Amino acid sequence: MRQLSRNIKRVAMVPLVGFALLCVYIAYWQVLRAPALRADEHNTRAQERLEKIRPGRILDADGEVLLDARQAADGSWERLYPASEAVAHLTGYNDSSGLQKGLRDALLNVGRYEHPLAEFIEGPTRGNDVTLTIDLDAQRLATRLLRRQRGALVALDAKTGAVLTMVSAPTYDPADVLASDFNYQLFQQNPNLPELNRALLGLYPPGSVLKIFTAAVCLDLDRVSPDTSFDCDGRYEIDGAEITCPRAHGSVTLEEALAVSCNTTFARLGRYMVPEEFLDYGRRFLLTEPAQLPLPSRSGRLGEFTGEDSDVLLAETAFGQGRAHLTPFAIARMTLAIASGGRVLEPYLVDEIIAPDGRVIAKSRTHEVGRAISAETAATVAGMMVRVVEDGTGKVAQIRGVDVAGKTGSAENPQGEAHSWFTAFAPAQSPQVVVTAVVENAGHGSEVAAPVVREVMVHLLERAGALY
Amino acid sequence: MRSIPHSRRSELILLLFAALVAALGGALICLGIGLELWRLTRAIAVVGAVIVAALMLDIADPRRDRWLLPIVAMISVLGFLLLWQLDSGAAARQLVWIVSGAGVMIAVYYLIEDVRDLSRLKYTSGLLALALVGLTLAFGVEKGGARLWLAVPGLISFQPTELVKIFMCIFLAGYVSDRAELLRDDTRPVAGFQMPRLRYIAPLVLMVVFSLAIFVGQRDLGAAVLFFGLFVAMTYLGTGRKSYALIAVVLFAIGAVGAYYGFTHVQTRVDMWLNPWLEPTDRGYQILQALFALAEGGLVGTGFATGGGAGIPAATTDLIFAVAAQQFGLIGAVGIVLLFALAAYRSFAIAWQSTDSFGALLAAGLAVVFSLQTLVIIGGVTKLIPLTGITLPFMSYGGTSVVVNFIAVALLLAVSRDCVPHDPRAEH
Repeated sequence: MRQLSRNIKRVAMVPLVGFALLCVYIAYWQVLRAPALRADEHNTRAQERLEKIRPGRILDADGEVLLDARQAADGSWERLYPASEAVAHLTGYNDSSGLQKGLRDALLNVGRYEHPLAEFIEGPTRGNDVTLTIDLDAQRLATRLLRRQRGALVALDAKTGAVLTMVSAPTYDPADVLASDFNYQLFQQNPNLPELNRALLGLYPPGSVLKIFTAAVCLDLDRVSPDTSFDCDGRYEIDGAEITCPRAHGSVTLEEALAVSCNTTFARLGRYMVPEEFLDYGRRFLLTEPAQLPLPSRSGRLGEFTGEDSDVLLAETAFGQGRAHLTPFAIARMTLAIASGGRVLEPYLVDEIIAPDGRVIAKSRTHEVGRAISAETAATVAGMMVRVVEDGTGKVAQIRGVDVAGKTGSAENPQGEAHSWFTAFAPAQSPQVVVTAVVENAGHGSEVAAPVVREVMVHLLERAGALY
Repeated sequence: MRSIPHSRRSELILLLFAALVAALGGALICLGIGLELWRLTRAIAVVGAVIVAALMLDIADPRRDRWLLPIVAMISVLGFLLLWQLDSGAAARQLVWIVSGAGVMIAVYYLIEDVRDLSRLKYTSGLLALALVGLTLAFGVEKGGARLWLAVPGLISFQPTELVKIFMCIFLAGYVSDRAELLRDDTRPVAGFQMPRLRYIAPLVLMVVFSLAIFVGQRDLGAAVLFFGLFVAMTYLGTGRKSYALIAVVLFAIGAVGAYYGFTHVQTRVDMWLNPWLEPTDRGYQILQALFALAEGGLVGTGFATGGGAGIPAATTDLIFAVAAQQFGLIGAVGIVLLFALAAYRSFAIAWQSTDSFGALLAAGLAVVFSLQTLVIIGGVTKLIPLTGITLPFMSYGGTSVVVNFIAVALLLAVSRDCVPHDPRAEH
């Protein structure tokens, strides 16, 4: 009997060890592997849980609703787009596009916003509202101005770096896209790529707008002054390559060269610096950095100056051609750095995140990344840009009673007509807004992009109380 | 007036605690689905049935184990509360089964005057087991790919396999306790191992081969594993020789490999155990849904009565543990496993405290079946082992399962009454 008892104890050990093993294994799934399983593409539970949450709204700076939701008959939440095409690239058209993707956790109150005990305390959760720094009226205006064009416009608050306007054309009506499969197919197959947010994802040769960068680099390195004079006979030869101007500008100072956008002068500036310096300032201005916004964005490139043709390439890049490809957003951010006295501000789009009970749970602040150029250089470049608008290529952008600093660009590209660029800020003495626009294959910057920038700028200056 | 003995009081306190859980859980569900609050009595009735049974058992003889019934009540009420959320109709039927089960438990406890008498019924039990299996094979109705059900159409249907477990335990306990010496001592060497003579072991082997073949034929893999484990454990207990266990494990491995290549449904189970992501929407769907439910639960769970059954196949029966793990999280899941481990431990303890070899072997057999069944299904749900369809005792929905498990508890309590020496101090 005693032996039997002992044997029973031995047998009992097997399942009891099994139970212990089971506990360890359950912990493996419920804790260690849980995040991966929750994110598994075949796991519809998370999706079902999220569909029950009332999503937060997206509002513009004045509280205008950009994204709303309405409960459907089956209990899920249908998204509404009251501002429609004016903010389509911001709202996106479903939960995996636009800010609906980028701000998903905040809008649904999940992830790091989720209170671990929320479900015990208050039942099904409600998402947080998100207020953007965007001005819906400016969005509408820019959308109208860019109608039937391909291009983008970015406007920034020159004091804070807040994104005031971000428009990409052509745009689309999010409600319309998902109305039927046919509509969706049309949307996806449209050769003008309406889904593409050109402001952050469009890579364009910068053309002459990059001349303000080149000027800033050479001035900051103290290699030239605004009064340094150059001779333009319409063509400049370097290592067998020829760089031309539409006409011979004759003897010009650097300031005059920027005002008339003289290519040969800026190509010559390639001789005043080494590629490393040029690239180093590119990094300081965040020229090739993607945006730090909850939206997809691309890095740009200035080119690699390592080959035998590096001198030619630097000369070409110095006046905005070469192999440089930058986003409209990056040009706007560079312009912002000049407007704010050489300080580099990282633009932001989300102003506040507001909990369902009205508490502000996150508030954006101006984020200064560093300094690109001295305040002195920035002031000099700003003065030169004022000349561009006063009596140079950018006269179209003049606004009565305000000094506008700007630069036109006509970027040559293999697709046809030049891309029309304009980047500007105003008032020049105490900048309030920065506006940058590019219009694809539309010709000279002065003809197409500059008037668009001017109109948006007038609106934003009126809004800021800087225009009487 | 005699005071209530200490251990009786602690049993009652634990049972009342289970009743409190029932009341709170029932109240939450009633509020959640908009029922009148008094309907929470349904959940209390689950525990109430066990409390009434506990009191009635004591009228006959109060010397018995005091841990099993509170654990059973706790597991039953947790299962019932989950079931109520998943399928209120099934929950209502489950309540009927639990009350009936408690009644059957009382009846069995009273009918068995001395559990040792059961050893005389060992061959009857063995034959009944075979007959039930044979009947299922001949007239069984297929449900969900396995032929497990005997049915009188429109009247009643039940799963004979469940009852076979009890008969097999009685048969094996009786046979092994009678032949223990012969099995152990009258051996001769075969291929380096000391083997008992064939005529002593033949009935055992025959019995098991027969039932294994039939269960594989019925496609009831879980039961096959269960009976094989029971056979190995009982042989070891009878002989004390580990070599038999070792041989059995080798045989099992060979059998498993054979079954893998021989049966497509075995292949499915094993393939989807190794990698359910190969066919996430088809053959691997069930196990993946279970794992997703576990992950959704996380450390503290999604909360009681927050759903989770949707999408899980067999959520009310075999996979109920996955639903529990989602709602109660790791903390609750481990708690439930510990409840089962505690029940297994108590059953084994009754076995090793028994002074009678038949009683010890019967309790050990029932304990082995109970723990293996729990391990096989929870292990399957958590992908520790291949998933095979089998109920989680007292928790899964199912009339036969509930009633038969109550019979097993009645037998365990009878062993604790008749074969375990009682400390007289514990009674007062």
